[in-house]
Amino acid sequence: MIGVYREFEGCMRLAGHVLRRLPVLALPPVAESLTRQIYFTGASATAGIVLRGAFIGTFIIAYVIEVLDADSALAVKILIWVVLREVGPLIAAVLVIQRSGTAVTTELALMQISGEVANLRHMRVDPRDYLVVPRVVGIALSTAALTFYVQVIAVGGGMILSALAIDASLGEMATEFFALASPVDFVYSVIKSLLFGAAIALVCCYHGLHPPGASINAVPKAAINGVTQSTLLVLLLNVVFAYLVFGQAFFGLVTAKL
Amino acid sequence: MSEAATGVALGYEPPPDLGERRIWIPSGGSYRTGLLSASQRRKMLNAVLEVRPDPDTRLVLLGVEVDGLRAAGRSALRDRIGFLPADGGLLSSLNAWENMLLPIGFHRGRRQREVARDVYGMLAGLGADPAALLAKLPERMSSYEKKLTAYVRIALEKPDLVLAEDLQAGLDPGEREAADRFPAAYLERCSAGTFVQLEAASAP
Repeated sequence: MIGVYREFEGCMRLAGHVLRRLPVLALPPVAESLTRQIYFTGASATAGIVLRGAFIGTFIIAYVIEVLDADSALAVKILIWVVLREVGPLIAAVLVIQRSGTAVTTELALMQISGEVANLRHMRVDPRDYLVVPRVVGIALSTAALTFYVQVIAVGGGMILSALAIDASLGEMATEFFALASPVDFVYSVIKSLLFGAAIALVCCYHGLHPPGASINAVPKAAINGVTQSTLLVLLLNVVFAYLVFGQAFFGLVTAKL
Repeated sequence: MSEAATGVALGYEPPPDLGERRIWIPSGGSYRTGLLSASQRRKMLNAVLEVRPDPDTRLVLLGVEVDGLRAAGRSALRDRIGFLPADGGLLSSLNAWENMLLPIGFHRGRRQREVARDVYGMLAGLGADPAALLAKLPERMSSYEKKLTAYVRIALEKPDLVLAEDLQAGLDPGEREAADRFPAAYLERCSAGTFVQLEAASAP
């Protein structure tokens, strides 16, 4: 229990440091590190998303129309609720944990064990400025971008594939989608995915900088801690968000009405 | 009565009962000290790099008694000290050029073109081929190239005091000769600076 509290406190301190030290992103080495992080987490992860996103969209539409025998309006409604609000940010978060979470934790743990973090201190560079700030910002922005990408692919690809595979009208679905989708859905998912990304990066950076030992065995342990805890945190944040949004928060702007 | 701190680049005076050696190096010039045990050297380096000596240990850096300083004063003093670790202390994910640029990118707002000119000048002065070195990652560098990269990284910031740990360790005779030019090259850039080589106690 004390360990959990210490890790939570460590992550919160790290979050405070990132917020206070955002201006270091203007320094050339940090800006370069941010660019690399965005490229790795955001740009190079997009290829794997296309098929997954399109299949999820198709599956939802096909399931609702064929199995539940509903019309395309309900299929699109469910697509918006499920993909825009929930599945989009979650798929992006899982992908980011799989790729960047493990990479960040392993890299930082190796740097800590091999003395490179100490070398940064010898250069009078705060390791949190150089290693944590660009990773947290880069991963948060990339998760938001990936979420948007998943949403576009899942909704667009799902509608197109459904029109080809089952008896669903693309025009009808598109009209329904634009009538039902609200900008608040996008704002909600962007805020959520930014938080998911920041949470993943903070947890993984914390475990990378605090490996459970000084031997090489500590690296996979740190990676496991980072991945499992960031997954749990994302699910917890999702529950909190769902409660806040589908409760009375946001002035009732987002509501689930059939 | 203890010796005055004025004109001292590095003064380290542990309590007499520890049986450790006192170090007293004047400002300006190049010095070697090879009589420190590994543990004392580690302790002294920690004290200098953290600008925070053990209790009862006197530490003088660049003519200033560290004990009487506040946090801001310690930090300002630390900014004037460069440290060259035995293995170069490079980041393995960055090539030589990026390693050289890292601290100066944090601490000084110099233009990259100006820094590049400076780096090329320094490397040429030390007989190195910039084109061959700058794109290399540390895993592909020899011990000498790592030390050279670390030296250039430090020299770019023009610190008033440089501490070089085992500068000649792990080098072949030709490389030793080349590394021997680092202090002179540094003093050419910073005429009032002090270059201190910390060597192992058993070194010849």
